[in-house]
Amino acid sequence: MYGSVSLRQLLPLLALLVGGFVLPMFTNEYYLYLGNVLMMYAVLAIGLDILMGWAGQFAFAHTAFFGLGCYTTALLNIKWGIPFMVGMPMAALLAGAVGVLVAIPATRMRDIYLALATFAFAEGMFWVFNTWEPVTGGSTGLRIISSNVLGFKVSNDVTAFPVSMALMCLMIAAAMYLSKSRLGREMSAVRDSEHVAMSCGIDVRRTKVIAFGISAIYAGVAGGMFTLAQSFASPEQFGFNTAILVLTMIVVGGMGTLPGVLIGVLILSMLPEVLRTTMRSYQIWQELVYGLILILSIMFMPRGIWGSLAGYFVTRDSSTSTVKRL
Amino acid sequence: MGAPFFEIKNLSIRFGGLLALDNFSMALDGGAIHALIGPNGAGKSTVFNCISRFYDPSMGDILFEGKSILSHPPHAISTIGIARTFQNIELFATMTVLENVLVGMMPKVPRYLGFVPGLRRNSIERHAVERAEALLERSGLADFRNIPAAELDFGRQKTLDVIRALASEPKLLVMDEPAAGLRNREIAALDKLLVDLVKSEGVTILLVEHVMQLVMSVADKITVLNQGVKIAEGSPAQVKSDPAVIQAYLGKGAHA
Repeated sequence: MYGSVSLRQLLPLLALLVGGFVLPMFTNEYYLYLGNVLMMYAVLAIGLDILMGWAGQFAFAHTAFFGLGCYTTALLNIKWGIPFMVGMPMAALLAGAVGVLVAIPATRMRDIYLALATFAFAEGMFWVFNTWEPVTGGSTGLRIISSNVLGFKVSNDVTAFPVSMALMCLMIAAAMYLSKSRLGREMSAVRDSEHVAMSCGIDVRRTKVIAFGISAIYAGVAGGMFTLAQSFASPEQFGFNTAILVLTMIVVGGMGTLPGVLIGVLILSMLPEVLRTTMRSYQIWQELVYGLILILSIMFMPRGIWGSLAGYFVTRDSSTSTVKRL
Repeated sequence: MGAPFFEIKNLSIRFGGLLALDNFSMALDGGAIHALIGPNGAGKSTVFNCISRFYDPSMGDILFEGKSILSHPPHAISTIGIARTFQNIELFATMTVLENVLVGMMPKVPRYLGFVPGLRRNSIERHAVERAEALLERSGLADFRNIPAAELDFGRQKTLDVIRALASEPKLLVMDEPAAGLRNREIAALDKLLVDLVKSEGVTILLVEHVMQLVMSVADKITVLNQGVKIAEGSPAQVKSDPAVIQAYLGKGAHA
């Protein structure tokens, strides 16, 4: 976790980026839809992981920033025709700014108190989405119009796919840089021990507030991505179920690790599709299955799939007496 | 001579009904080892937590190189040249040994944006890593640099705790029970390390310790604290024979 990101580490992202432009030419629209959903969740989950997995702050306001990003991007487009490449960053920055404002009082608390306070904020935002009818459309939802991305009209899964891919790659690359930066190291130190971090010269509150801000920006970008392919936004999509889903993703995959989070996103965003084809009335059972996966994962793989895999290889390594892993 | 290198002046701190420190004063000479001893609950760790700015004293002042440190937030203390180690080793458990040292070094490393791909390692970062690796090399931890700190054995965790504190190149090193739980051989190594630090690096050390063998061997001066009050101060020989100290440690009517 030091040094810089090498070009070799960025190559997979370049491959994905090329795939983002090529795949829509010959892939069926259903798979592109799945891809778009997956990429949106990837950005959302990485953002939550930066706050929870890296900085160790157990906060539940993530879906509020997700919703803020979505409604703001959509409304800037609908009301003033602001193009996506301007509106989405504005929405993400707004989410980040609100994140910082929430964090300033919230970071005075920790653990369950922090979780409850941020959850209360998320519920408050949900109430705003749900009742501010003239703006958000209230509980009936908001009809999203097609976006203008660099002059191209984006209104369905086919046209949204390359844009989502580019945004996801950008956000993954940013996370890679962040993980190698001094700020990333400060976050890990705060997670491991606040008062030792303090005595090592780290401004703990400042680090937490920045982590909140960055995390909220990721959620805001994911919200912007939501508006690309979807034609309708309703408050429930930014409610408690989504919060639990994203939490499950990072816990199952492996908190604090980028590959782990992406594995978790892959598994849990594909799961509904698997359930849909194998179970009747799957929607009734869906929440139960998520809950079960979360519990089993915490019991048997507390460090997530990636953590367990890494642990497995390290133990095998040390049995042959090699300590140097890099 | 102007003001002492480090001075605690009439420090008092109250937790509810408990007066944990009562009008406590001590002064440290630069380039010496000063031990603070006393029975459990005497207030030694409270003194340390005031120096780290984790606690706000109710009264009194702490002066470092003639200036009060009480106006500084906790995270500025290492920047002005005071580093500490912890009683129950507290490492950044999930971070690697090298990363632990790099975090300790932060007060000495300027902030930068190492955001250019291709430039594989920013020069500031590379310099920091080189210095951290030299420290690890010197302390025999180099082979473990890429494993998580939590996976080190106890003795090496203690060493890492000290190395992390030294990484910030402190003028004053505040050590909370560095010998606790160490074996005799390790205590002897620690003894040598402390004397070396003072001699070759010019570090001043404030030491809280229960292992008297170490205290009596390395300390230039000892302050004894009992129930928040200073009861004795002086050279190891003076303190050892002080009746008040014997009474505090062994009880009334005891004889040395």
